[in-house]
Amino acid sequence: MRIAISIDDTDNLESRGTGEIASLIAEELQQRGWGSCSYITRHQLYVHPDIPYTSHNSAMCFYAEVGEGWLEPVIEYVSGFLEKESAPGSDPGLCVAVPAKMAARNELIAFGRRAKGEVIGMDEAYDLARRLGVHLSQHGGTGQGVIGALAGAGLRMSGNDGRLKGFLEFGQPYRMLRVDELLQHPVVDVVKSVTGEALKDEDLVVLGEKPKTVLLEGESVLLVAASQSGNCEARWQTLHRKQLKAY
Amino acid sequence: MWHRDQRGNREFAHGKEAWGLAAEVAGGCGCFVADVEEEQVVEEELSCYNCRYRRWSVESFTCLRLPPLHVAA
Repeated sequence: MRIAISIDDTDNLESRGTGEIASLIAEELQQRGWGSCSYITRHQLYVHPDIPYTSHNSAMCFYAEVGEGWLEPVIEYVSGFLEKESAPGSDPGLCVAVPAKMAARNELIAFGRRAKGEVIGMDEAYDLARRLGVHLSQHGGTGQGVIGALAGAGLRMSGNDGRLKGFLEFGQPYRMLRVDELLQHPVVDVVKSVTGEALKDEDLVVLGEKPKTVLLEGESVLLVAASQSGNCEARWQTLHRKQLKAY
Repeated sequence: MWHRDQRGNREFAHGKEAWGLAAEVAGGCGCFVADVEEEQVVEEELSCYNCRYRRWSVESFTCLRLPPLHVAA
């Protein structure tokens, strides 16, 4: 059974980030033999003076494949983890959704999209979670993180939002690789041009510093643009971080 | 370089895409600490845009480490 685990607002200015908390949870679930976990995605939410975020207002989400009987133990474990490990002054929230058991996934996705451009209250988040049969809980502080946690799950399920946590590493510090070689990386599902031009397997891609994939159409996509390097061998280059800010 | 926002915070006056200025300010700042990888948004690590003490605002970011600006008398 595939579940989405989404967390928000676990950090303060001096603590480790919410992304690291998500990584620790995913590692522990795997170590306990409860299931296997996917990559983690970061989802940007609304930046507005009325929202009490720490510094960037982003939620983190990952999928886990767990056995039917493990759902409740997972929720219990993650809840306890957030209570113990979240930073002082944070307002952590947890959402655990089972996409296959949700009749109205679109409502959760729509909530996620709204949370990128609207101030939403905790009551609305709890009401929606209850109606959709999604676990939503707060684990300290004001609990405001439930809004971002629910939104993060919806945005992950949309398949079209966010950047993956971490960057692509290869066995050696390659300066460029062919498209079919990039596709060998376990986290790269697709290599795609931002302008929509078709790529060939043998096309060369210049690798920028710390290349990163984004979530598009449910896949981890390495976006490339026409090469500016002056190297006539390479037709493409990976996007700069500045260009990935929009995802 | 900075102005006072409506809540009295020190806000970067040049928005979210002044790459050179943000790098220049961070280069001369004793408070800079790089944010976690997933929150870094520019290649050059030493940039206010990558600092863990920048708090994104609607138009720009506020610095949570430098002292607030005082209102001119």
